[in-house]
Formats: sequence, C-alpha cells, structure tokens
Amino acid sequence: MDNGTSNSASENETITLKSCDGIEFHIDARIANRYTLLNNWNGGESACIPNVNGKVLEKVLEWCEHHINDPQLNCGDDDSRRRNTIIEEWDENFLSCDQDMLFEIILAANYLEIKPLLDLGCKTVANMMKSKSPEEIRSAFNIDNDYTPEEEEQFRKENEWAEDY
Amino acid sequence: MIPLPNECYYQIFNNFQHDYKRLFSCALVNRQWCRIIIPILWNEPEKHFKDIRFISTLLLMLNTEERAILIPFNIIFPSHPKPLFEYTNYITSINNDLDDGIENWLCYKTCARQREFENAIKYSLTAMLLRTSKNLKNLCINKIICTQIISENLYENTTITSIFLYDINGNFITNVINVLAKILYKSTTLTSLRLKSSLLKNREFKTLLEALDKNTVLRSLDLLNNQIDFEERKEEKH
Repeated sequence: MDNGTSNSASENETITLKSCDGIEFHIDARIANRYTLLNNWNGGESACIPNVNGKVLEKVLEWCEHHINDPQLNCGDDDSRRRNTIIEEWDENFLSCDQDMLFEIILAANYLEIKPLLDLGCKTVANMMKSKSPEEIRSAFNIDNDYTPEEEEQFRKENEWAEDY
Repeated sequence: MIPLPNECYYQIFNNFQHDYKRLFSCALVNRQWCRIIIPILWNEPEKHFKDIRFISTLLLMLNTEERAILIPFNIIFPSHPKPLFEYTNYITSINNDLDDGIENWLCYKTCARQREFENAIKYSLTAMLLRTSKNLKNLCINKIICTQIISENLYENTTITSIFLYDINGNFITNVINVLAKILYKSTTLTSLRLKSSLLKNREFKTLLEALDKNTVLRSLDLLNNQIDFEERKEEKH
C-alpha cells in the first residue's frame, strides 16, 4: 500500500471512504496520504471504517480538510505541542459541539491515529476541567464517585502536598 | 459519558503536568482517574520535596530495614494502612530540595535540628527511593548518605541518566569513587555526571580518570571545584 507523502497526490485527486454505517465520503487524496490509517481504508469497494459512524467521520474529515496545509509535526514536537494549551479559534468553534460528539471525535482520532486532532480533543476536555472541583467535574461528565469515604480520606492524606499549588 | 480508553485519559491529564493542584482535584473524581493520574502527579515532585506533607508520605514507603535505621530516634510511624499506591515508583528526579524537606519535617516534629536524626532520615529515604523508583533519571547525592548500601543500590540501578554528587570527602570518597568507576564501566544510560566540592586523593582521581577514559556513553561531565590531594601537594581542578 502506498503511504507516500502528501506531495504524491495532486489537488484534484479524490478517494472514497465509507463509515461503519455505510455513508460514503469523497475526500481529497492528500488527507488520506497524510494520515496512514485513513489511507488504509481507501479504495476497497465494500471497505468501511469500523467503529466510526458517518456523523463522527464527517466531523473528523471536516477537521482534516481544514488543516490540510498545516505543517506536519514529527514526534519530537509532541511535548511542545502538548504544553501549549492555546487553541485556535477555528478549532475551538469546531469542538464546541455537544460532549458526546467531542468524546466520539477523541475516540475516532485515537483509533485513526490522527494525533493533532486527538491532542486538540484532549486539550479541550482538559480545559473543561479547569477551575472545577471534583464534584463539579463529576456532574459535568456524569461520573459516579466510587471511592469509599476511607479511601478518599487516605488519598487526600497521602497526597495533600499537592492540594495547594 | 462515553468511556474513553485509558491512554486518552492519560493524554488529557498530561495537559496538567506540574499543575499539582489540578491533578489532585481530578484524581478525587473517581478511582479510575486516580490510577491514571498518580504516575503523572508523582513523576516530578520538584519543589514539593521541601513540603513536610510530602516527606510524611515518603516515610510511609519505608520497608522494615529502612525503618530500622530510624528506631534509635524513637520515630513514631503513623498507624496508617498500607499506602494506596507505590507512589515512589513514578518519581524520575530527586533533587537536593529533599534535604530541605527533611529539615523542615524535623523542625516541625521536634522543634529542633538534630544532625544525626536528619542524616538517618536522609539515608533511609534515599535508600528507599533508590530501591523503589523504577523510572529514576536524575539523582542528587551528598556525603552524608553516601554509604555502602546506597552505593550498592546506585550500582544496581539501570535507569539513571544523571548523577550529581557533591560535598563528598573523608572516608566515603574511596568507596564512592570505586562505585562511580564501576558505574562508568557498566552503565549504558548515564549521560551526565557532576562531581562538585569533593576532596579526592591522587589514587581515586586516577581511578575516576581511567573509568572516564573507557566510558563512551557520558555526554556531559562537570568536575568543578573539586580538590585533588597529590600526596603533599594540593591542586584545585577547574
């Protein structure tokens, strides 16, 4: 399979991807060349991407399309990218969808190994947790507290050095 | 909420690296989050080594042997249950803020600075950290704790990339230099070595130089401000 660089596909070339619920997308071949796993699903008549439905795939591809001309980062840039918590306006608007969709996008980006989108999704979730108490986080994300009171107390005691700053 | 795989959570919480307060809050959300966050929270405690609450948790991690060192000082260990996690597994860097932390802890507990007690704590904690920290990269050590057991543990370690030894002289130095030489012959990870404010005898200096000559891994070497005792003559090496 050809996993060549983005230069190997011309602007007008398109490929077809199919979501797990059978929806077809015709996308710029340069996108598939950029993300290896998308490329893996290219071409086959009946091949469809498992685990990613049409609604989510549409969003993922929309993001890929918008960022088609971004410089490609190598692994060494991972850390600097992660530490930078500033999110571009377009990305912020793009991810201000409902929470389920945000998590679906993270899952799909993780599954399809679209690292910059995964990174962005994780950063967005992290920002949603900022300045929230544990209780507020639980209610925002609908999470049950499964600590026993004793465990919680012990955790607090052993890690209280981290509580203030 | 749609469940995410742990690696995604890890990436989310990694955005809070060094934001200890935020990590602490998130870890209290539920047990799953806590398990993911502990390795990030404990990775680089940095200035928190100075915190007496941090030292108190470190003391919980001592094994029987390491606790025995502190018996003569009548230290009372809390009747706590076993710590929830092997916290020190995740520490990658031990700096000399640990000394300040121990001093602070001692002042708080006994309202007095007792040199011997302080050294015993330093010694037992360092032995524990060397025993348990499976990902230790940077270590800072001085003469007080440079004993046989510490150097043996140091020799056994296979993860350290940077060692900073300072203020080492007297009876300790021969042992330390011999161990250091053995490490330099053996280690494939140690890339940075600093030896500062120590007094070396001619023979020890030679041992060190021979080991350095054979070593091909080290990338950074700092021997600033050591004294070398050439029998009668003393020279300072810069």
